[in-house]
Amino acid sequence: MSERKPKVVGFCCEKHGIDSAILAARSGRQYDASVRIIKVPCTGRVDGIHILQALEDGADSVFVLGCLEKNCHYDTGSIEGRKRVEYVKSTLADLGIEKERVEMFNASSTMAWKFPEIVSKMVDVARRLGPIGKAGGDR
Amino acid sequence: MKARIQVLACKACTEMPQLLDMDDLMNVASERELVVSSMLVDRVCDPKIIKRVVAEASERDVDRVLVLACQKKDVNPGLLAAYKRAGVNEFMVEYINLRDEVILPHISDKERAQAKAETKAVAGLERLLMLQPLEKAEEVMRTKNVVILGGGVAGRKAAEVAAAEGAHTIIIEKSGSSHKTPGVIMPNSTLLGAKGYGGNFVLSIKAGEKVEELECAAVVVATGGGWAELKGPLAKAFKSAVPLYRLHEQMQTGAVPKGPVVIVDSPDPAGKTLAVQDFAWDDTLELAIDLKKQQPLEEVYVVFQEMRAFGLSELAYKDAAELGVRFIRYDRAAGPKIDPKEPTKLTVKDLAQAEVLTIPIGTLAFAAIPANKDNIGIATALRIPMSPEGGVRRGSIQRWPVSTPRPGVFVCGSAMFPKSKDMAEAEGEAAGLMAGKFVMKGVIEYGGVVAEVAQEKCSACLTCVRTCPYDAPYIGSAGKVEIRIQACQGCGMCAGICPSKAIELRGSTDDQIAQETRTMLGGDF
Amino acid sequence: MIVAKRKPMAEIAEMVAPYKTVKVIGCRSCVAICLAGGEKEVKMLVSALRLKAKKEGRKQEFEGLVVERQCEKEWVEEVEGKILDSDLVLSMACSLGAQTIGDMYPKKIVFPALNTGIFGVPEEQGVWSEKCVGCGNCIIHTTGGICPIARCAKSMLNGPCGGSSNGKCEVNLEVDCAWYAIHERLKLQNRLDLIEQVSPPKDWSTSHSGGRRVYVRDDAKLTQHQKKGKEAVR
Repeated sequence: MSERKPKVVGFCCEKHGIDSAILAARSGRQYDASVRIIKVPCTGRVDGIHILQALEDGADSVFVLGCLEKNCHYDTGSIEGRKRVEYVKSTLADLGIEKERVEMFNASSTMAWKFPEIVSKMVDVARRLGPIGKAGGDR
Repeated sequence: MKARIQVLACKACTEMPQLLDMDDLMNVASERELVVSSMLVDRVCDPKIIKRVVAEASERDVDRVLVLACQKKDVNPGLLAAYKRAGVNEFMVEYINLRDEVILPHISDKERAQAKAETKAVAGLERLLMLQPLEKAEEVMRTKNVVILGGGVAGRKAAEVAAAEGAHTIIIEKSGSSHKTPGVIMPNSTLLGAKGYGGNFVLSIKAGEKVEELECAAVVVATGGGWAELKGPLAKAFKSAVPLYRLHEQMQTGAVPKGPVVIVDSPDPAGKTLAVQDFAWDDTLELAIDLKKQQPLEEVYVVFQEMRAFGLSELAYKDAAELGVRFIRYDRAAGPKIDPKEPTKLTVKDLAQAEVLTIPIGTLAFAAIPANKDNIGIATALRIPMSPEGGVRRGSIQRWPVSTPRPGVFVCGSAMFPKSKDMAEAEGEAAGLMAGKFVMKGVIEYGGVVAEVAQEKCSACLTCVRTCPYDAPYIGSAGKVEIRIQACQGCGMCAGICPSKAIELRGSTDDQIAQETRTMLGGDF
Repeated sequence: MIVAKRKPMAEIAEMVAPYKTVKVIGCRSCVAICLAGGEKEVKMLVSALRLKAKKEGRKQEFEGLVVERQCEKEWVEEVEGKILDSDLVLSMACSLGAQTIGDMYPKKIVFPALNTGIFGVPEEQGVWSEKCVGCGNCIIHTTGGICPIARCAKSMLNGPCGGSSNGKCEVNLEVDCAWYAIHERLKLQNRLDLIEQVSPPKDWSTSHSGGRRVYVRDDAKLTQHQKKGKEAVR
């Protein structure tokens, strides 16, 4: 049986977040294909429910990537994003689900190295923890 | 009417056809329901091809389009314009960046990249079906006025440049002094409040004893910074300490500083009474270089916690280091100290070596300066954010170096943080140009991707009103939230935080995000 | 407003574990405004509980619903079908909402997902503080507009006590002394003489004692005749 492919969802803001991913690609950096980029205008748009539903729908790990907090295109957007992520993390921890499945990251459009680092970290988490629940896998 | 979709794929980049089976991809896309046209073209940016593509779209009565190419901003805007002319709403054209999100980062994983690209195309098609056509609207700016707060170096330059663009400039100057600049100067006046949004502001200005209303399209904050009265413990322990500018003046008159010179950016000079901009900055470097050149054998120390020398000033940092200026970086949490019993030595923990250093002082100068006290009132009036050090905060440094997060409000010079004259002037020029161009557009374009309230769900809890950085939501006459769409920037923070789920961001609704996530997770790659 | 707080997830998850069909019902009034039980929180809770069930391999169905005001029968009736269809109703309203559903459908099991705590005001976004305990006999006209029953740890009527220092309370140094605040307020209003007047023991009969209190507004009550007319229309 072939190795199960991990599933990682990354909600990336359309400003610095996605730009950092594009710069990484254009700098010739490679990252695991498991990542599913979902573009949002700003990480402040992300609602905890988006993250939880992604986990429900089979994501092993979810990250949110926004602008640097002091340099956010929408001023306070990535701060809002972080707060939403923290709320989800505490909810998960309370339920006995590994909170490291969900993380917030920040990048600026000039950080080519950042996106591959994030992906590799979240893919590691996904591989280590596997799917949530017995139904999903043979953990 | 049922949706009619055109799928348009581009194989211009060499990687595209090499690493992706484009025919397979097109098959997957064209087999989907409601796709009435699918075209694989050599170069989507080519005007001739655009013509052909859009002609087919017209013929097949297409109302929405999926573009499989690179990112939207890299594609010839002529494509979108042509679609618009052919009656396709610009918000119904969805770009999928296969190049940067699938092909380039997964070169060695062809099989998975193919599956990913196909899933992305399917997700894009599904998303298209959930999109609504959106319209943009325009509001005419009532004036061409650019109001400049502060008539210092930066402010005057901003006025000059904005006027050259064709704007009417009005400098609001706190003092009575006047300078030769184009436009109007209002002496002895201050900003009290502001209503409206970028393009159509109404400012309330106190001029002398009178309060006047002033309409303007843009505002440039050029308040500058103030110099310190020395009040803190360092200055008390070392009695002959001076602000940086005083040391500079002394040197101009030929005075030679005594012994080793220590320039420190500690917030000390103002004691605890004011917000202080405790950075080393370009003038700090210039002075250190002058000192070292004058007395190469005497030590010059720059004790700092943050260096703000940008652009060409970075070279001064290098020059200073090469001349032997010693840089000691400390942490804000543990600032430098002078023992009043032995006021000839400064102790500071060096971040680089993690060691406490003792530095002999001959002359002590403070690079830190207090922020302009007027900034608080201005930031409150214009509803723009401030830095923790009391300056006016700019937007993203790469994207908006002289803009605030509020459209139509620009900032330059020491209003942000201390700057040298040259730097302040350069920023004034930039801010003046930005403001001038902004005003000369003559119209505010708004709408499109903006927030929308389902009033029947709104609990009028004020959460969005408090959270929005642009003051777009307000409680309307029905006692429910309404969106001032001229102010809405389309970030969706309100939609993300609304506890009653009464707000949606057009083009990025909860359902759209959930569906895209689900489809992407359904793909096997 | 009534301020409530979601119970710890672990507690909720344990409560609902034995039930197959669970309806999570929120409310658009106070609890939405205090970010505890509006539509957003309902959706989050439903999703989180589904994840928990998935993790533990339990087959459970969760559905989220929101009503305008769960403490009023007419609004609850809008989701009657869903309630009757459930094994468990998990109320994300204050306890008033949960009890309204329970009273309307006595055979249905209704659990609270929130802890209803205080009559509070939002001090800032995300911070609510108690300023009233509903004693039923308001005295704040004599205390500079500040309620010592709610805000003094000892609910003293004649304060401050000896435990007030630097404006803080001895019970918890992070809490402001209500009587210090009253003193400052009266001073500002030139009414300091009030603080020297001794307040006699308060009439506590209006407070919570001797069973639940019922407030009646006779002129608003419908007569039997009117009620009959309404029923006929239905």
